[in-house]
Amino acid sequence: MSITLTKEKITATVKIITEYGGTGIFKCVQCGACSAVCPSIKAGFPVLCRLLIKKLLIGQLEEIIEEPSSWACQACCRCSEVCPQGVKPQEVVFAFRRFQANELAISTASTTSLIDLHATGHAAHTTTYRELRAGVGLPEQPPTTVSDAKGLQEVQTILENCLMGELGFY
Amino acid sequence: MGKIGVYVCHCGTNIAGVINIEALRQYAETLDDVTVARKDLFMCSDSGQEQIRRDIREGLVDRVVVAACTPRTHEAIFRSVCESAGLNKYLFEMANIRDQDSWVHSHDPEGATEKAKLVLASAVGKARWLQPLDDKFVEVTDAALVIGGGVSGCFAALELANMGHKTYLVEKDPSIGGVMAMLDKTFPTNDCSACILTPVMVDVAAHPNIELLTYSEVEHLEGFIGNFTVTVRRKQAYVDWQACTGCGDCAAACPAKADDEFNLGLNQRRAAYIQFPQAVPKKAVIDMNACINCAGRKIGTAPKINAKTGEPVLAPCEKACKAGAINRSLPRDAGGELLRLNVGSVVVAAGFRVMDKHNFPAYAPQSPNVISALQLERLISATGPTGGALLRPSDGGKCKTITFVSCVGSRDERHHTYCSGICCMYMIKQARLLKEKYPDLNIYMHFIDVRAGGKEYDEYYTGARRLGINIMRGKVGGLQTIPGDRLRVLAYDIDQLESVEIETDLVVLATAIEQPESSQKLARTLGLQLCGSGFFRELHPKLGPVETASRGIYIAGCCQGPKDIPYSVSQAKAAAAAAAVPLAQGRVRIDATLSEVDKELCSGCGICEPLCPYHAITRVERGGRKYAEINIAQCKGCGVCTAACPSDAIALHGCRDEQILAQIAALTA
Amino acid sequence: MVKYGLFLGCNIPFKAPDIEQSMRKVFPPLGVEPVDMVGASCCPAWGTAPSFDKGTWCALSCRNMAIAEELGVNIMTGCNSCFGILSEAKHFMHDPEVAEEAHELLAKAGRTYTGSADVYHITHVLHRDIGTEKIAAAVKFRQDGLTVAVQAGCHVLWPTDAMAIKEENPFFPHMLKDLVEATGASAPHYSRIEACCGMGGMRTTSVDKSMKILAAKLRSMKEEINPDLIVTGCSSCYMQFDQSQEQLRASGEIDFTIPVLYYTQFLALAMGFDPAQVAAISAMDRSALIAEIQNPARAVQEV
Repeated sequence: MSITLTKEKITATVKIITEYGGTGIFKCVQCGACSAVCPSIKAGFPVLCRLLIKKLLIGQLEEIIEEPSSWACQACCRCSEVCPQGVKPQEVVFAFRRFQANELAISTASTTSLIDLHATGHAAHTTTYRELRAGVGLPEQPPTTVSDAKGLQEVQTILENCLMGELGFY
Repeated sequence: MGKIGVYVCHCGTNIAGVINIEALRQYAETLDDVTVARKDLFMCSDSGQEQIRRDIREGLVDRVVVAACTPRTHEAIFRSVCESAGLNKYLFEMANIRDQDSWVHSHDPEGATEKAKLVLASAVGKARWLQPLDDKFVEVTDAALVIGGGVSGCFAALELANMGHKTYLVEKDPSIGGVMAMLDKTFPTNDCSACILTPVMVDVAAHPNIELLTYSEVEHLEGFIGNFTVTVRRKQAYVDWQACTGCGDCAAACPAKADDEFNLGLNQRRAAYIQFPQAVPKKAVIDMNACINCAGRKIGTAPKINAKTGEPVLAPCEKACKAGAINRSLPRDAGGELLRLNVGSVVVAAGFRVMDKHNFPAYAPQSPNVISALQLERLISATGPTGGALLRPSDGGKCKTITFVSCVGSRDERHHTYCSGICCMYMIKQARLLKEKYPDLNIYMHFIDVRAGGKEYDEYYTGARRLGINIMRGKVGGLQTIPGDRLRVLAYDIDQLESVEIETDLVVLATAIEQPESSQKLARTLGLQLCGSGFFRELHPKLGPVETASRGIYIAGCCQGPKDIPYSVSQAKAAAAAAAVPLAQGRVRIDATLSEVDKELCSGCGICEPLCPYHAITRVERGGRKYAEINIAQCKGCGVCTAACPSDAIALHGCRDEQILAQIAALTA
Repeated sequence: MVKYGLFLGCNIPFKAPDIEQSMRKVFPPLGVEPVDMVGASCCPAWGTAPSFDKGTWCALSCRNMAIAEELGVNIMTGCNSCFGILSEAKHFMHDPEVAEEAHELLAKAGRTYTGSADVYHITHVLHRDIGTEKIAAAVKFRQDGLTVAVQAGCHVLWPTDAMAIKEENPFFPHMLKDLVEATGASAPHYSRIEACCGMGGMRTTSVDKSMKILAAKLRSMKEEINPDLIVTGCSSCYMQFDQSQEQLRASGEIDFTIPVLYYTQFLALAMGFDPAQVAAISAMDRSALIAEIQNPARAVQEV
């Protein structure tokens, strides 16, 4: 099936991506330097950098909402470092990711880390750390939000009052 | 008061698409002294011009106001319309309702129309006070200066000289030839660069009307069209060029070494050297930064005497020179000598440089096997450091694979946003030459896109594909260095949507054409403007491509913008033709819109003298008192002196008090 | 003694506390005092707030930085992701729209961010403030003869416009190489030195694809310099190298494994600290390597 291009779709897509932080999208000349150095494209996630920007520039947004490539972005920003036009492709990728996330097109792994972040202040939390820490001669609790109620309260206040709070993860 | 004719131009839809032309025309009819108010689709067309002439001839108007595009391009046209109908051309005034109105207020047609009325009323107000003026003329020195001895400068000089004008050609290097002399072959015909350029260089040197000043730089320029005085510094060569035969024996004897600029650092030359084998003039110079003063022979000192033989101990270069051109006992001024030249016009063909690879950290600049495309020219040239063999700089080994990277520093907002214009073509040329010479060589070329928009250029490009050269769309993102001084190219194939890695022996970077820092100094010396991109600014991008804002100074070649050889030569010949006009006319017309001192009112206070940015004012003493005098050829009519004069003694014709006040009155009514 | 706020992040205190212990051990003898940032949280990790809303990201990062501001110290992180997240958040706070949202959320949490604390990676502090000479002098076991493959990790290399300290050439980094070589070991260049290890979002999304990247990197190390060990400057890279090599060998992708240490672990061992505290937790067996690092024959003779 051919893709049908419409002005409305293109305008709406670019607006959404720009609002989510991909402000450089219109500067892209599709040279491909970003894609040449992207580790995730090398690994086999094609819809990143140049190709993702191309799809967005022709108004493909809902069509690719389940695309997993964006979640494989390492945020290494090597693309932004080599981009000759100041597009900052990584920020476009993350803008698209934010669109996906706010439409709840996300993985269970992401959901788990969000719940952990709210519950403990840490996204990569474990249950066995006390023994590990004691084993290497450290206090069982690190001096972070896991042992500081006030700090955790602050993190929760931020998370509950921000836009993410409305998505119903915690 | 006069009879003013107002002519409103639609300029197609440029003005009429925004401004209500009929409303503006009707408004004009309401203004004092306006006897005729007309409109036309294109006022500058034949019919539009004829309408103005008819109204003048029939006595309907004796002042003309055109509301149209901009005086920058069209004032001269309408002035000559007036003149051809017998009206003094200074009785013309223009209202700028396009560049300064419809173009900038396209979103607000009503506001633009109201602004147009104000602008027109102001022009009409001024027109009522216009006075007839007479143009002035100054005599011209029949000689030209060409700055830069590359292919552009050589052709500009030859054209001027062939037209019979004495021409000085100033070149900073010891030889003329510029970058073209460094090239192996040229696209799209693959003719040998040296074979076609060397005869031109010889013609330049042999031409009776050309005085060649190489190893020289312009230090100062003053004056004006027709009468420039130029100070040129001839750098100290430490070799008597009258005597030097260009044999090269001094270079062979010299033990001191420095990077060879002509081979872009791929090898070393001696401190005493001839720039390249086909140099014109073929003269040696001694590079004092590299010279080690063998035998303690510092310049201007007496030689030591050999205790045994009683003979003076000479440096190897002195000893080697059979022509006696090197005598280190002679005192020589390290600063060289200053020459003063008088010329009527100037052509600037100062050339360009290519960016250094060290500007590009992602492209492994530390690897000796990453080179610029200009270095590759030297590497494949028969006169280059390898005699034309494609050998890796790291070890002199053979190359099995070579990779070309395009747009390095061009089309890149971190460096230069412009396209360097010639890289696609010269890379294709280099690839083709290599493929013909080494059929087994594996060649990869990475382009954002291939730009081959010239006569027979695209055929040249498609021919490269047919030779089996691998061409890939997608800008290279980086290079990795692998053992054995090889490189891994991190690329992307836009057509396959795949990232690509290629291991290669040699990487050629098409680094951008740019202006060196020295062009800023040259621009200041000559009073020229530079574009944002760093190139010299032409008077008009389409209609004045070789002229500059400084009358009498013209530009050609890559100092104006990146271009290939055919385009450079065309522009050089165009610049020479333009530069020859004042020389051929013998005198130049000066606009009458200049400042003039009323000697009766001038108190001779001298306030104006240092304020004049063009050094046009001097104080003279006559009849026992001092007063200011303005050199009309230097005056640009800027009005600084007029505004500063405490005695109101300086009038600026075309902007007299009553004229300006009438404009202000109209704008504030 | 210069004080730095020690920003722990998540992986180091919970999964690799021996790295935390190694940082706490090596800095004081080198003249730097790590100060606890009480109440600090996750940076927040790339997959959380940064993937939803820039303002929330910046608010959480700025809350962490505000803790350092109150202590009057700059921050050093051991985790590259934390370094990248905090540096970029600081950078984005120059965008008025993002800053407004972040300041509003911070105010609700009762925190103020001024931007007065700089963000450094521990390798920056070691390289710039302490210097390789001081490190060399502190080493109790010289590592001459050991060949190390260094892995600086992506987030200390790019994007340079957000970083307080940058490599001279981020595509050919040398800071970690210098730090490793201060112990006497050699850290030769290998072609994929700047390449990604495959950890992070890529691994979360597809372990198989992440492994391809890692395997290419490991082969480049093995074939080009045949190292005795890998030293990383990034705790995430460290985990990827430690946890995935066995898997790659089992699947036949590689026929070797290379033991790995985080830089401060390597340095702590070379400085003579107890491996049971500073290099105790790993998926791979690296006891032989640790014994070699602390081989009595390597001990520096007191003069």
